[in-house]
Amino acid sequence: MVTNVEVKPKHQYRGLTQWGRIFRNLGMILPVAIFALLIFTAIFANFLAPFPYDETSLTERRLPPAWVEGGSTKHLLGTDTLGRDILSRAIYGARISLSVSLLAIAITASVGTVLGIISGYMGGRVDAFIMRITDIAMAFPGLLLAILIAVSLGPGFFTVIIALSILGWSGYARIIRGEALRVRNSDFVAQAQVIGVSPWRIMLRHIFPNILNILIIGITLSVGTMILAESAMSYLGIGIPPPMPSWGSMVSDGRNDLDRAWWISTFPGIAIGLVVLSGNFLGDWIRDKMDPRLRQM
Amino acid sequence: MADVLLEGRDLTKHYPVTRGFLQRTVGWVRAVDGISFTIERGKTLSLVGESGAGKTTTAKAVLLLERLTSGTILFEGKDLNLFSQAQLKAEYRPRVQAVQQNPWSSMNPRMRVRDIIGEPLVVNTKQTKSQIRSRVLELLEQVGLMSDAAERYPHEFSGGQRQRIAVARALALNPSLVVLDEPVSALDVSIRAQIMNLLKDLQAQYNLSYLVIAHNLATVRYMSHSVAIMYLGQIVEYGVAEDLFEKPLHPYTKALISASQLTLPEDDTQGAKQIILSGEMPSSLNPPEGCRFHTRCAESGESCSKVVPELRLIGQHWVRCNHYK
Amino acid sequence: MREIILQVEDLRTSFFTRRGEVKAVDGVSFYVREGETFGIVGESGCGKTVTGLSLLRLLPEPAGRIVGGKIILEGTNLMELSKKAMRAYRGRMISMILQDPMTSLNPVYPIGDQIAESVRLHQNLADEHMVEQEVISALRLLRIPSPEMILRQYPFQLSGGMRQRVVGAIAMSCHPRVLIADEPTTALDATIQAQYMALFKDVQQKTNVAIIFITHDFGVIANMCHRVGVMYAGKIIETAPTREIFNAPRHPYTSALINSVPRLDRKDDRLYSIEGQPPSLMNLPPGCRFAPRCTVVQEICREQEPPEVDIGNGHSVSCWKVK
Repeated sequence: MVTNVEVKPKHQYRGLTQWGRIFRNLGMILPVAIFALLIFTAIFANFLAPFPYDETSLTERRLPPAWVEGGSTKHLLGTDTLGRDILSRAIYGARISLSVSLLAIAITASVGTVLGIISGYMGGRVDAFIMRITDIAMAFPGLLLAILIAVSLGPGFFTVIIALSILGWSGYARIIRGEALRVRNSDFVAQAQVIGVSPWRIMLRHIFPNILNILIIGITLSVGTMILAESAMSYLGIGIPPPMPSWGSMVSDGRNDLDRAWWISTFPGIAIGLVVLSGNFLGDWIRDKMDPRLRQM
Repeated sequence: MADVLLEGRDLTKHYPVTRGFLQRTVGWVRAVDGISFTIERGKTLSLVGESGAGKTTTAKAVLLLERLTSGTILFEGKDLNLFSQAQLKAEYRPRVQAVQQNPWSSMNPRMRVRDIIGEPLVVNTKQTKSQIRSRVLELLEQVGLMSDAAERYPHEFSGGQRQRIAVARALALNPSLVVLDEPVSALDVSIRAQIMNLLKDLQAQYNLSYLVIAHNLATVRYMSHSVAIMYLGQIVEYGVAEDLFEKPLHPYTKALISASQLTLPEDDTQGAKQIILSGEMPSSLNPPEGCRFHTRCAESGESCSKVVPELRLIGQHWVRCNHYK
Repeated sequence: MREIILQVEDLRTSFFTRRGEVKAVDGVSFYVREGETFGIVGESGCGKTVTGLSLLRLLPEPAGRIVGGKIILEGTNLMELSKKAMRAYRGRMISMILQDPMTSLNPVYPIGDQIAESVRLHQNLADEHMVEQEVISALRLLRIPSPEMILRQYPFQLSGGMRQRVVGAIAMSCHPRVLIADEPTTALDATIQAQYMALFKDVQQKTNVAIIFITHDFGVIANMCHRVGVMYAGKIIETAPTREIFNAPRHPYTSALINSVPRLDRKDDRLYSIEGQPPSLMNLPPGCRFAPRCTVVQEICREQEPPEVDIGNGHSVSCWKVK
């Protein structure tokens, strides 16, 4: 006796009004577009930037953006106190900010996930131990720690990454641990134990794939946070050292000239804001997309 | 002589209740309190009871998902307490598998069906990928599913189909005993019959033993050779299914049967044929004194609140009741 | 003959999803008299719960909508009421008990408050003391012991059976004319279920309320209901007095369903099982919905939907084999 397997047929996407569909997708299109732009800029910075980021020009200092009186199309977004082109620096800054953030996310997400899964699955003393360390890591005032690291290691690209990583892993550990706990109590994990699957294989094949949702959301939301954190460090002078441009340091550079050369801080500031916002929107959108799918079962 | 596959002797599981900052133990939840039973090769034993009776805990103990407080499980005559971890993994686990109640949560939603069914083989045997693949297809056919099911994910199937996949997975290692925890209660009525028929067919074909946990008496009657009725952690009646249903002795058994009967409207004219128990099952933290059932028993007598009844053989089956000596 | 309290005519409810229109209820008609229990029996996905929700106009918007039919409660068509007027009806004239007692009660409010909320909403009582009296009498109606103490307790302090009674008390607190019970006993143990059903019969005798009992359990149907409607894929395919449904089912699905349930009073050698699955409510087959699974199917069954035929004695069937 063989039963036919009835698979749900794929249906056409219909039923919503035109406006509904546009509105629904706007939440996704815009952030994705901004991120795509960001990545594109970061990769092709060399070709996109009209000037090198450290080329100074004493005659063209504090030039306003092209559309303001006194500006020129040579420097579309104007120049800073040393005559460096803002647009070019912003473009290179994208590359710097993005690479720092992505590397830091890669480290924090990996460490945090591994610890979170082990903690959540093993429970008992292992869990308690890992969680206490996480608590300690979280309790440290972030800024202080960042300054300490920057001072001891000296400012630089990798210093920033190290500082961000040390600060960031605990958040992941906590969240992933919660999810791992939830999955651990599922029937299919008990089933795996009945079959005789080893704890490591359970963690790898059963727990990990089922916490991916949360992990992806966490990563997407982290991008904005990381860029903001890196910007903060650079703004305070303990981040990316000059002349390498970071949006944060660019904002810092312009803070004394806010009244007469507002563009020096404003444009990098807008860039930071846009990216952070996009990251948050994207994270929310992904979370919403994933939730109802889970419930479709 | 009956061929006994698994025997449980005086199985007991008490959970500590702790209170306070220092986690002092203030009491014990006596989930399972001295259960003994035998499962014969190729036959089905059902543990019947309502929630809180201890049947799920017993099933978990047999599956080694819970550690017993005391008592012995003998598998093919050998005491499991004397097995090492490695021996349990190599000699016991592959022979004792499970099908769970909820077909929606008992499978990893991220794994394909072929991996779900194949996992026991991957973990326990050294078979090659293609060997496992053909075994998976063989199992799918056994449970009545088409081979293209292998590439799909659980959520693409209905409840009944998922339960079939669960059965296929349970059979992968050629077990001797399958523990089925309410295998059909989450399914639609018309699908239940399909799955129950399938289980019976497989039992005949492979001489499988089943330990079925259930609360639906009609299902139990259809599937079982022997039945143990549980109440508040103890077995109150135990024997061959036919005998127990034809001539129930324990008042609780009688009440359960009465509650599960299909009484048609015309039968009801007499009215009082239904046995309706008062109150609810007490907590296993503080079971009643004497006979644990006396607080709800319609036939409760003088001594029932003082004397603790033993399990006695009356006629063809065992009863734990003060009325039977 | 008792008066007909609720008359449902050609009720149609659909869910509008991204993938299309799901016709959950597709032309359902039945009636209930006062003091009588009408059972709606069917498997999951047949539309019985949606029917119950439709009667109260409690569908999840905007996806769910009643797209046709009349619901006439004591002369008033509920479909014609404004949302505000419907809210006044809900709870007072027609009430509902849901399946899961765990989630039907708000865990952060005491029992008394939850019942009182309903009372205050629908009854214009002079003062709080009278409200409390109503609450206590509702608890007593459901035979809840020590009602004065239960008032102040929280749901987590009560057992499952007791919680279900509290839910019943909330539903009955404003003396509705119709009570819809959606699988209220499914989560209960057998002996508690028996208690509960006896209790319901008692409540019905005292208050003369009409009950619509939605379930998949034939044992409950036999025990509780005077008349039964069997639902399949959004339609009622057979309606009859309970006795007739068991002794003389006319629709192939009804008899197949009854035969696939194991009996306690005899040992079955083999259970009858129905092949296949219920159809998708988005892609309904033409003709009779049960045709793909029917063992006595004919040509015409696959082409046209059978009309409802009254075969007397309050028994009606929708099947081409029955003329």
